[in-house]
Amino acid sequence: MTWRILVAEDEGLAAMALEDELLRAGYEVVLAPDGQAALEAADRTPPDLLLTDLRMPRLDGSGLIRALRAARPGLPVVVMTGYAPAGGASAFGRDGEGPVALFPKPLDMDAVLAELRKLLPGP
Amino acid sequence: MGVEILTLPVRTSLAPGLCTLVDPDLIYLHLISDVAIGLAYFSIPAALLIFARRRRDLAYPWVVLLFAAFIIACGTTHLMHAWTMFRPDYETEGLVKVVTAAISVTTAILLWPLLPRLLALPSPQALAREVEERRIAEARALASEARTAAFIEHLPEALFVLRPGPRGDFTAEAVNPAFERLYGIEDASIRGHDMAEVLPPALLARLLPHWRQAMETRRPVDYTTEAETGIGWRVWQTILVPMVGPDGQVERLLGSARDITMTRRLQADLLQSARLATIGTMCAGLAHETSQPLNAAMLWTRNARAVADGMEPAESADRLRQSLGIIEGQLRRAGDLVGRIRALPGEDEGTPQPFDAAATAASALRLAMGQYAGEGIDFALHSQASTLPVQGVPARLEQALLQLLANARDAVLDRREREPDAPMQIVLTLREEPGEAVLEVEDSGPGVPEGLRDAIFDPFFTTREPGRGSGLGLPLAAAVARGMGGGIEARNRPEGGALFSMRLALAPMASLPAGGAVTNQ
Repeated sequence: MTWRILVAEDEGLAAMALEDELLRAGYEVVLAPDGQAALEAADRTPPDLLLTDLRMPRLDGSGLIRALRAARPGLPVVVMTGYAPAGGASAFGRDGEGPVALFPKPLDMDAVLAELRKLLPGP
Repeated sequence: MGVEILTLPVRTSLAPGLCTLVDPDLIYLHLISDVAIGLAYFSIPAALLIFARRRRDLAYPWVVLLFAAFIIACGTTHLMHAWTMFRPDYETEGLVKVVTAAISVTTAILLWPLLPRLLALPSPQALAREVEERRIAEARALASEARTAAFIEHLPEALFVLRPGPRGDFTAEAVNPAFERLYGIEDASIRGHDMAEVLPPALLARLLPHWRQAMETRRPVDYTTEAETGIGWRVWQTILVPMVGPDGQVERLLGSARDITMTRRLQADLLQSARLATIGTMCAGLAHETSQPLNAAMLWTRNARAVADGMEPAESADRLRQSLGIIEGQLRRAGDLVGRIRALPGEDEGTPQPFDAAATAASALRLAMGQYAGEGIDFALHSQASTLPVQGVPARLEQALLQLLANARDAVLDRREREPDAPMQIVLTLREEPGEAVLEVEDSGPGVPEGLRDAIFDPFFTTREPGRGSGLGLPLAAAVARGMGGGIEARNRPEGGALFSMRLALAPMASLPAGGAVTNQ
C-alpha cells in the first residue's frame, strides 16, 4: 500500500516543492493551504501522517494536531516551522497535541525523509 | 595687776561708771556676765574664721571678716566694761566703744545693700535641685549618645571620618562596622592610618579628586565608585561632608557610603533584558520570515537537482549540479544563521533539569583546552566550590562557557599579536555566593573598552572584522545566564584583561541527581 501524507503548508511554493519530494519518495500527498482546509481534507481522505506548518491562517498547526489527534490519538505528526516554540518539541505535550517530530525551516529534507521512513515503515 | 575680788570697791568709793551698782551681788552679776559675753564673743570669730578659711568658695568673704571684727569689737567692749570695775580706765573704754561703734555702723550700713544679693544666692535646696536636674540631663545626654552610637554601629551605610593632613594626605579617624563589611577592611588596620597606606594606589587616585573637591569647595560631594575590594567587586555611592572649623579651615570630612552593587546589577540586568527583549522579538520575527523563503528556495533547489540528474548532455548536467550545489550551500549557510538567531531566546534545546554547574564548567574548560592546544595559552581552573547545583540545560551552559572561553582566547591572541611578550592566560573561577553560583572567565587580553561594556551583549555587535565572529556569542551567553535565573556582566581587571562574570541561581543541593553524574545530555 502507499502511505498517504497530509501536508498543511500555507507557503504555496514550499508546498509544491514538498509535494514533488514526497511523490518522488513514493508517498501519496494531499495538500492543504491552512489548518482548516487540512481538517476538511482529513475528513474526506484520512491520512497516515500529518506534515504541518505551525503558523497558518484560519487554524494553526497546534489546533490542527489537537483536532486530528482527538479522533486518532496515534496519528504520526511531523512539524516544520520557522518559529520554534518555547521548549521545542517537548512544548507540544502541554496542550494535548501529543508527541511530534520537529524540524526547523529551512528544512533539511534528507532528515525529514528519514524521519518519515521511520514513522511509516516501508511495506 | 590682778583682779582682787576681796578688794572690790566699797560702797563709799564707787567707780563712777558703776554708781548705780550698790549691791555687791549685782556687781558680781555684771562682772561675770561681761567676762562671759566677752569670751564668748571672742570665740565666735574664731569659728567664723575657721569656716571662712575652709570654705574658699564663700560668696562674700569680706562680710565674714566684717562680722568677725564687729563681734571682736563687741566682746572687747564687754571685757573693757568688766575691767573698769577695777580700774577707772574710762578713756580707754571710751576709745574701745568708738572703735566698736565705727565697726558696728559700717557693718550695719554695708549689710543692707548686700541683703538682696545675699538673698539671690541659691539656697542649698535650690542647689540640690539644680544638681539633680543636671544629673538627669547628663543621663539623658549619655542615653542619647548611646543611642547614636548604637545607630552608627548598626547603620547599613558605611561611615568614615577623614582628617586632612598638611601635605594633602588624609588620615582615617574612625569607621563603623558597615565600613568594615563593605570594604572588607578591619577597623584596626585603617584607623589612624594614612589612606595612601590602606587603599590601592589606583583606587586612591580615583578618590582623591573628590576629597580635594570637598576640601576646596567646602560643600558636600557626591560620587560613585566601583572597584575590587577585600570582598570582591563592589559599587558604592559616597556622600562626603566637609566639617569647617572656627578658623574657616576644613577640619574633617565625614563620609557615608552605600553599597549599590546589587542595585547596579539589577539596573544593568533590567536594561539588558529590555534591550534584548526588543532585539529578541525582532530576531525571532526575522528568523521566521527569512526561514520561509529560504525553505522554499532550498526545496526547489533539490527539485532542480532531481531534474538535472536525468539531463543530457552530461557536461551541462554536471555544470548545473555544481551550480545548484553552490546555491544550496549558500542557502544552508543562511539557514544556519537563521537557526543561530532562533536559538538566542534559548528555550528549544532540551528540558531544564537540576545539574552541577561546576562539573559542566570543568568539562567546558577541558573541551576548550583540547580545541586550543598548541596555541601556548595557559588555562587554569580555580574552583572554590566543588559542587554548584543549578537548574537549566547543561548543554546550553556548556555552550555559553565555551563561547566565553573562545572570546577569551581570541582576546589573548589579539594582544599577543600586537605585544609579543604579553602573557597568555585564561582563568576559569567557580565560587558560591549567597543564592548564586558565580562562574568567571578572566583573560590577559586587552580588556573591553569601557564604552562598549554594555553593547557587547547585543546580538550582531562585534569588534571583529567582517567574517570573523557573528556577534551572537555573548548574547547567547547572556541569554543562557538569564534563562538560569541570573545574568552576566563584563568588566576589566585592575591588572589588565577582561573578566566575564556569570551568575546563576543556585538550586537546592538535594535536587542534584545522585552521584552528580549528569553533566551533559
